[in-house]
Amino acid sequence: MKFYKTVWFKCIACLLVIALISGASITVLANLWEVSATERTARAIKKIYGEEKEYSVILDADGEDEIIEYDGVGTVNKVYDVSGDLLFRTTGYKGYKNGTITLWIKAAKNGETYAIDKIILQSAEKQTLMSKLSGDFYDGFKLTDVTAAYNDKSFFSASDKTATNYNPVSGATYSATAATNAVNCVIRYLGGER
Amino acid sequence: MKTNFKKIAKDGIISSNPTLKLVLGTCPTLALTTAAMNGIGMGLAVTFVLICSNILISLLRKAIPKQVRIPAFILIIATFVTIVRLALDYYLPDIYESLGLYLPLIVVNCIILARAESFASKNGVLASAADGLFMGIGFTLALTTMGAVREILGAGAIFGYKLWDFSIGFFSSSAGAFFTYAIFIVLFALITDSIAEKTKLAEKNNNGDFTKPIEEAK
Repeated sequence: MKFYKTVWFKCIACLLVIALISGASITVLANLWEVSATERTARAIKKIYGEEKEYSVILDADGEDEIIEYDGVGTVNKVYDVSGDLLFRTTGYKGYKNGTITLWIKAAKNGETYAIDKIILQSAEKQTLMSKLSGDFYDGFKLTDVTAAYNDKSFFSASDKTATNYNPVSGATYSATAATNAVNCVIRYLGGER
Repeated sequence: MKTNFKKIAKDGIISSNPTLKLVLGTCPTLALTTAAMNGIGMGLAVTFVLICSNILISLLRKAIPKQVRIPAFILIIATFVTIVRLALDYYLPDIYESLGLYLPLIVVNCIILARAESFASKNGVLASAADGLFMGIGFTLALTTMGAVREILGAGAIFGYKLWDFSIGFFSSSAGAFFTYAIFIVLFALITDSIAEKTKLAEKNNNGDFTKPIEEAK
């Protein structure tokens, strides 16, 4: 019997053809519907401020700037100036299965210092219990004086119940740790660790 | 053979409702019905995948060797799920974010694979498309209604609009999801069984003359 007439050849050929056509169509559509980094930033600003706003880039790790990494804590990927406020995109480490959480954090100008007053989620890698971190959880990170918190070494902690503004989340401890680390990156950045 | 679209519609929405009769696709049903909008978003995404995968599988049913039909179906379903993800992220980012992890999980949704295996691989294109559409409508209606009830009771809101300050947190929790789902299954079974009983009685009393109204038959 000829090779190309065997059942297993037909099976492999069928799967290969489907996979190739699928891959090609997905590649075309992924290029067509690609959401650029600029568009994602505009979306985050609209979500945080409720309207579109002009912004200028202070740090952009996707561009020419280097990413700022805090050992074992997380990274600051982007910093924008939005009408005098600072908007951060930070990634926190030590989530579930060493996954990460990326947040958009607004630090509003408050006299000589900054105040963390709004946080939204950008993405969560491997964090299946993210839905447990509701708006109340993020509200727990509101801080009126970031500089004072840095000087007092008063960082947020997801496990130390005596820490500032501790907000327990049962069943999503790792995700909460990663989110907390993402916020602590902003405190370190504004404290001068760059 | 002539396609009975009326039967396909009745099966998809009532007699074989995937969520409330067949108890398929339970994972997104329980996890996403905290809000009515999530139900609509998930329902429409699944409906799109169901229609497209059913059409393609029906078209290729004679070309796909039976030994690899399941991996082939999964490949086709995964392609459409990826397309839905890309489209939602581009056009409807809010719904994309609220569906989160459950959007890629449509690939392993039992409803889609079950319809591919039991219907699309054995029927024509039109019938398969209709089956996908009505199964999708049945799924969407179940999720949206359940989402609306849980949102009203659990958050005192509907489609994000606040109705009142009163809310019962239990209905937003996982336990509340199971409880609401159970109540929905029981109510749906009671209603459909009672309708079926009445129809049967009418058929019996009419001696097969279905044109007579029920009251007259009694």
